Amino acid sequence: MSDLLDLLVTATASGCIYGLVALSYLLMIRPTGIINFAVGEWATAGAFAAFAFLTLVELPYVVAIPGVVAVMLLIGWATELVAVRPLVVKGAPIIAPILALLAMLVIMREVIGWTFGPDQFRVPYPFGFRRVELGPLGGSPQNFFIIAATLAVFAAAWFFFERTVWGRIFEAVAINRRAAALMGINLARVTAFAFAAGAACAGLAGLLVSPSFSAHWLMGVPLAVQGFSALVVGGVGRVEGALLGGLILALAEQLTQRYAPIPSGYAAGVPLLLLILFLMVRPTGLLKAREAR
Amino acid sequence: MPRLVYYLAVIAVLAALPFFLASYQGDVYRKMLLWVTLALGYSFLFGIAGQVAFSHFAFYGIGAYGVVILWFKLGVPLPLAVIGAIAVCAVLALVVAIPATRLEGFYLALATLAFAQLLIVVLTEGGEVTGAAAGIQRYALPAIFGVRLTGPYYTAVIVLLLVGTYAILSRLERSWFGRACRAARDNSEAAAAMGVDVARIKVIAFTLTSTLAGAAGIVYAFVDNGVAPTSFDIDKVFTLLFMIVIGGSGRLAGAVVGAVLLYLAPFVLEPYIGHHHPLVYGCIMLAAILFQREGLIGVFDGVRRRFARARPRSMELAA
Repeated sequence: MSDLLDLLVTATASGCIYGLVALSYLLMIRPTGIINFAVGEWATAGAFAAFAFLTLVELPYVVAIPGVVAVMLLIGWATELVAVRPLVVKGAPIIAPILALLAMLVIMREVIGWTFGPDQFRVPYPFGFRRVELGPLGGSPQNFFIIAATLAVFAAAWFFFERTVWGRIFEAVAINRRAAALMGINLARVTAFAFAAGAACAGLAGLLVSPSFSAHWLMGVPLAVQGFSALVVGGVGRVEGALLGGLILALAEQLTQRYAPIPSGYAAGVPLLLLILFLMVRPTGLLKAREAR
Repeated sequence: MPRLVYYLAVIAVLAALPFFLASYQGDVYRKMLLWVTLALGYSFLFGIAGQVAFSHFAFYGIGAYGVVILWFKLGVPLPLAVIGAIAVCAVLALVVAIPATRLEGFYLALATLAFAQLLIVVLTEGGEVTGAAAGIQRYALPAIFGVRLTGPYYTAVIVLLLVGTYAILSRLERSWFGRACRAARDNSEAAAAMGVDVARIKVIAFTLTSTLAGAAGIVYAFVDNGVAPTSFDIDKVFTLLFMIVIGGSGRLAGAVVGAVLLYLAPFVLEPYIGHHHPLVYGCIMLAAILFQREGLIGVFDGVRRRFARARPRSMELAA
């Protein structure tokens, strides 16, 4: 029983990471319709920023987290400026920025790989790695830290979309771009903000996994795949969907790995199967977008 | 008839070339021809049919593994194994295409990406059947009429595949089917209103190009006489995409130019940037999308158009 409960904590923590990556996709897809496959590379960038701040400069976590977020906001904004805005201005079809972002993915990965080399880079844990117990639930402090940080991000995102004018503007653009533009909403600014916020989310995911997996220049691909699987399962319409999708995926994956009588390597295929299943049966995901009111 | 002569001449030249190359260069040349073949099919799928699918390399892998498993592991006679592998590709492509092509926008990309990733998982975890991470190695084609089809001699097979793929696709491109694909790509409602069965066109385009990729995979299986999961990973299909976008999306000639350039680029760049040549791909890709949407073949067209316009005037001057 305690075995199962420990597994639940671990699975919830990985689900939170998938959820953060899914949120990153969602923040960009909702207002722009652009899917940015470079999200995995952004997570890598976040992990390396964490390595730079925490290991090289030895800053405390309290300073490093805002530092990483600031770096990521800058990267996201710059990406939008270079690879998305010129194409949107030109009125290019939607596939053009998606391809440009794929190019950015490769550029970013190679720049990171070239700068740091193919080694793994250790990032310190914020709270060490003794065992922490919260009632019947036990696990490493990192897992609890991941869960808490993710909940904070999702709470902030929820507050942003439900309670602020900017959130309303985002929704308006997502529901109808043209009408929103006619109402005097600055679409370019919304897009820039979406990319900056998306990069910050992905970077945070990178920062949170970096102590357990170390920073590595190819760490982004699995995160990107898990992230969009979570996105499809939860649905691109709602912020909560990203977290829900991530949790479902991680639980399915880890429970299969632990209890199903198949080689554990096949567990990596579980999220992909879920993704395909959802695309066939329910392409809108579990949570539907709210209708325009 | 002149067309046939033209094709035969191209086959002869391409097949004869490796006899003048050193063995390593010949190997590079054979793999380049395979990339060109793949790029042709992908150019049709992405550029002409307008489907953003990332499963092209997966079908290449299914073809390669299919023939090796059928022939080498299960002992099916080679001709039957080849037909069997093509059939497996076609059926799987159809099974993927029927639900996947109904998906809108980037969902097709996600579904095919998941399919490709799933294949890698199956190949690496397949145990005895797929040889796990090490793949299946050390088999060789039997001698046919006393001739061992290896090295430069095997090039003829690849050239036949390449020219065959080109012949099929270039005919299709200019046919009713090609026009229907373009119409469905540009405006599916308008195409449907003109009597094009959009869903069916999409399924056929996907199945056909994926099966062609599978056929290329079958040929690939005997180039190195070994197959391994790493040869078919996700990043390869991005390279393929870069090739056709840089060469000129939706143009078969563009696919050839892009594939040749990007395949050879690493060999030229190696002394300067080591293994980081994707960095150069990425930069050229970004520049192509931002500044030259028609790719290199678009540049060529522009130059030709300018000359075509300039010529009558110069003749006027001469007169």
